[in-house]
Amino acid sequence: MPIGIDVSTEMRRRTASWVAREIMPHEPQIRAWLARKRIALDDIDEVVQEAYCRLALLDGVGHIENPKAYFFSIVRNLLIRRLKRQRIVPFEAIAEIDSYCDETPLPDRIAGGRMDLARVACFIAALPERCRNVVQLRKVEGWSQKRIAEHLGISEKAVEKQVWLGIKAIRLAWARWEEEGAAHVELAPRMTEARK
Amino acid sequence: MSVQTSAIWDEAARWVARMDAETWSAEDERALQLWLAGDPRRRGALLEAEAAWLTLSGAESSEQQPSAELTRSPIKGLFERRQVVLGGSAALAASLAAGFLWIAAGTSYTTELGEVRRVPLSDGSIATVNTNSRIEVKLATDRRHVRITRGEAWFQVAKDPSRPFVVEAGRIRVQAVGTAFSVGRVDGGARILVTEGVVEAWAADADGHKVRLIAGQSAFVGDNAAIRVDTTAPSSVDRALAWRAGLIDLSGQTLAEAVSEFNRYNRRKLVLADQRLGGEQFDGVFQLSDPEGFAMAVRDSLSTPVDVSDPGRIVIGRTPE
Repeated sequence: MPIGIDVSTEMRRRTASWVAREIMPHEPQIRAWLARKRIALDDIDEVVQEAYCRLALLDGVGHIENPKAYFFSIVRNLLIRRLKRQRIVPFEAIAEIDSYCDETPLPDRIAGGRMDLARVACFIAALPERCRNVVQLRKVEGWSQKRIAEHLGISEKAVEKQVWLGIKAIRLAWARWEEEGAAHVELAPRMTEARK
Repeated sequence: MSVQTSAIWDEAARWVARMDAETWSAEDERALQLWLAGDPRRRGALLEAEAAWLTLSGAESSEQQPSAELTRSPIKGLFERRQVVLGGSAALAASLAAGFLWIAAGTSYTTELGEVRRVPLSDGSIATVNTNSRIEVKLATDRRHVRITRGEAWFQVAKDPSRPFVVEAGRIRVQAVGTAFSVGRVDGGARILVTEGVVEAWAADADGHKVRLIAGQSAFVGDNAAIRVDTTAPSSVDRALAWRAGLIDLSGQTLAEAVSEFNRYNRRKLVLADQRLGGEQFDGVFQLSDPEGFAMAVRDSLSTPVDVSDPGRIVIGRTPE
C-alpha cells in the first residue's frame, strides 16, 4: 500500500474505478448522440468535462442504479443550461434534447465488456512504440514502473513519463473514438451489425 | 479541447502517472490536495485521468489495490495466448509480439445491400465501406493492411510515414502514406480513385510495374498487371464517390449504367424492359435508396412507361412486341 491513503483518497479511487467501469466506456456513445444533435464539439467537450467534475464531487456512487443513464442526464442538463445561456441555438434543438427520456437507455450497439476490452486493446495498439511497450508491461503484465525501468534500462522518471503520455493518449482516445455507426448512412431499412 | 482545459488534463495525467509509480508519499498527497484546491475543474480532470488509466486494467473493483501477480486482469486475457517465461529482452520482444497477435488477427466489416458504413480505425484513419462489401483490417506496428474481399471502400488515411497503408483487392495492391482514395473490386482487377494526395498501385508479383496516381485521377489495374489511367476530369472522381452521401451523381452516364448502379444498392431492382433505351444518357443527382424516384425521372424525360406495381421490381419501358 502506498503511504498517505486517507479517507478522501480511498473515496477518490473508488469513484475512479466506478467511472472506468460504468461511465467512460459509454462516453463515445454519449458524444455520438450529442454530435447527431448537431452540438458543436467544443460544447460537447465542455459539458462532458463538467459532468465528470460533478461525479468527482459525489460522496459515494453506491446509490446510483443506472450509471450510464445517470451520467447522461447530468450531461443533458448541463447542456440545456449552456444552450439556453448562449441563446443562439434554435429552440427546437433544446426541446429535442429536453424530450430525451432517461428511462430509455441509448441504443446499445456495444455488446458489453468484451467489446470494451477489444477497444482498449486497439487504443494500446495505436500508442507510439516506446509508450506502448511501457503501457503493456504495466497494464497487461502488471509490472511496476520500477521493474519496467530496470528491465528496459531507463530511469524511473522516463517510465513515468511514458505512463503520463499513455494516460493522456488513452483519455483522448475515449473522447475521440467515434462510435461505430454514428455516421451510418442509412439507405436501406434493414441494417445489420455484421462484424466479427 | 480548449487550451486551458488541455493544460489541466496534462497536469492531471502527470499526477496519475506519479501515483502509479508506487513512490507516492504523504508529501505528494499534500501537494496533490493543494493542486486540486486551486481550480474546481481539476478534480474532474483528475477523475478522468485516473479512470482512463483504470480502463486499461479492465477496471478491477478496487476494494484493495490488487497485487498484479494474484489478479488476472481481463485485458491480459486478451493478450494471453501463450506461455512465455519473461526474462531477457528476447522474451520481452516475444511477449510484445505475442501481445500483438490478438490485434493482428484483424477485424472484418461487412455491409449489406444498400448499407454504407463508416468505420473509424484505431490509427485515426477512416474506412467508408460501400454497399454489399467486406473488408478486413489489420493494423500492425510496421504497416497498416486492409483486404477488400468484396465490393468497395473509400479510405481517409491518417498520416504515418512509418506505417504504410496498403489495400489489397484480389491481386491488386494500392499503397498510401497519408491520403484519401477508394478501391473497388471489379471483374478482372480493381478500380482506384484518388481524392487527396498520392497513391501507388500495382498487381501482386508485378511491383516493378507501378502506377502513381494523384488527387483527381482514377485508374483500372488488371489482374494481369495491365494499367489504364483514366483521362477524365478530376470532378468525375468526386462524382463517382457520391455514394458516400447516399447519392448517385450522373453526368452523361447511360441508363444501362445507372440501372446497374442502382441495383447494387437496392433489393427492389430496376429492370430495363426496352434495351433500346439503355444507351440514353443521363445527368442529375439522385438518392441511391430511391430507385422509384429515378424511374419516374426516366419516365418523364424519355416519355416511356414505368411499371411500379410489383414490389420486387420496377420495370422501365415497354417490352418490345
